[in-house]
Amino acid sequence: MRSTNYNKPSQELAIKIRGLTKSYGKVRALRGIDLDVGRGEIFGFLGPNGAGKTTTIRCLLDIIRPDGGKSSLLGIDPQADPVSIQALTGYLPGEMQFYDNLTVERQLRFFSDMRNLRTEWGYVRQLAERLDLDMKPQIKNLSKGNKQKIGVIQALMHRPELLLLDEPTSGLDPLMQQEVVSLLRDANTTGATIFFSSHIMSEVENIAKRVGIIRKGEIVEVAETSILTKRTLNRLTIRFKQAVEVRELGNLPEVEILSQIDGNSINLQVSGDMENLIHALGRLPVLDLVSERPSLEEVFMTYYKNKE
Amino acid sequence: MKRLLTTLRHTYIGKKAQILGWGLGLALYGLLIVPMYDTFVAQGEQFQQMISSYPPEFLAFFGATVNSMLTPAGFLGMYAFSMLPIIIGIFSVIAGSALILDDEERGRLDLIIAHPIGRSSFFFGRTLGILATTLTIHILGWLGFSMLLGGSSLAVSWGQMAVPFLSLLVQTLFYIALSLMLSMLMPSRNLAAVVSGAIMVTSYFVSSLASINDSMGALAKLMPYHYFQTVLSFQELNLGWVAALLGISAIMIVIGWLRFIRRDIRLRGEGSWRLSFLSKRRKTI
Repeated sequence: MRSTNYNKPSQELAIKIRGLTKSYGKVRALRGIDLDVGRGEIFGFLGPNGAGKTTTIRCLLDIIRPDGGKSSLLGIDPQADPVSIQALTGYLPGEMQFYDNLTVERQLRFFSDMRNLRTEWGYVRQLAERLDLDMKPQIKNLSKGNKQKIGVIQALMHRPELLLLDEPTSGLDPLMQQEVVSLLRDANTTGATIFFSSHIMSEVENIAKRVGIIRKGEIVEVAETSILTKRTLNRLTIRFKQAVEVRELGNLPEVEILSQIDGNSINLQVSGDMENLIHALGRLPVLDLVSERPSLEEVFMTYYKNKE
Repeated sequence: MKRLLTTLRHTYIGKKAQILGWGLGLALYGLLIVPMYDTFVAQGEQFQQMISSYPPEFLAFFGATVNSMLTPAGFLGMYAFSMLPIIIGIFSVIAGSALILDDEERGRLDLIIAHPIGRSSFFFGRTLGILATTLTIHILGWLGFSMLLGGSSLAVSWGQMAVPFLSLLVQTLFYIALSLMLSMLMPSRNLAAVVSGAIMVTSYFVSSLASINDSMGALAKLMPYHYFQTVLSFQELNLGWVAALLGISAIMIVIGWLRFIRRDIRLRGEGSWRLSFLSKRRKTI
């Protein structure tokens, strides 16, 4: 199942991981990960909770030490020279805590000091404005979403070459999620490589060009996002104005009728694109249609079923 | 070096509440205790009678005798410096164990250490920051004890008053180093603070009881408090003891540093009271 892309010359790689292992006591969090991410790429790191996404990112930044394997970021070994890596990287942790008594601006100045940088405060204010974040209040008075915005700003404010983001849109409302995605795209346009983890399929589809899927500490798939999207499952509940003959829908490729609730409603599952189904529905008296994305775990199970 | 100084500066600024609280508290205590000596001397006979009625063991516990109580050194030893190592010791134990683990257990260290500081610069920046904080607290305390000396019959100069404060500073540094080291070796900050505090209190009682019971003398020599000196002149100060305590403190700091640069940084909730080999640690994978 594992597909890799080892053919890229290393100078083109932003991230190179070989055989990375990490255990917490008896729990094997990473079981020999191999992964390459090219420079300038937006790479989605997808996996259910507990799959090993956070552990991978923390190993790459030398926050925790792997038990085995090798990695390099921008051609630098994080174990040998963590400070150089950290200087070139912007990191957004999955769980973030700040100094509650500081104002947003003071907290950001603290992070700026930790980098020994002369931060472009015009740029920081611009980021805060785009994320609709007031820099004056104390952090203890902020919501989880606003704290997430601080995390995003501190990761971006020094214009890093590489962004390692652990669930960057967590806790944000849909509008702000879009704004964060837009900020990441802007950073990518100026040359930054973006490696971000998520357990939300649609989020990854929205931004990443390639996706790595991790499950139980192993990379199970590395693929172009478009390929993954074609395999994506959608579940539809369709209500008709009157009872209709739905058998022909079930005969369409990639469409499976799960249940027929009554004469007027059916539940369908579609894998890949829905073009054929939409064409077929165009000839029927559709009252409404509700689409639901399956959970990541269900998607994995479908992969495995198909592979078997 | 710049990274170390940045961490030092932030640590020192972040401790301003402790500096004001502990430093001014200590100074205020000095401002109250020094004028008390004049009252003490003025009513010397009554005090001497009262003190004579105390069991000699009680006075010996605090390192005093009936005759020494009316001397400046005896008075300060009994009423000021006998308890100060314990009082400032509370600060030491809290500050040392929290120096790095407070941020780690609250989930802040993960992001801080991902900045280009370097673990060694971060560790020593923080350690020097707390040393500077401790020094400031002791200077404030010394000033408080010295400001009213001119109008007092204590006949102790500012320089003489600095001597017990130097010894107190060494005691404080010892417990900061101890609790810092233990915080790096033990599974949680609370556990490190409790163990350090227990060592501090045991040290105080064993050393004090050794004044009453000679059989405890050998054990007392193993206790840091035994080497706390309340003498009022540099000539009487045992510099060997000062150097030994500072040396042991330095070794404990180095052990803490070696552990810190090698270990994983934990996320919030991963530390616990329980020992790691007895517990299942919660990990965000």
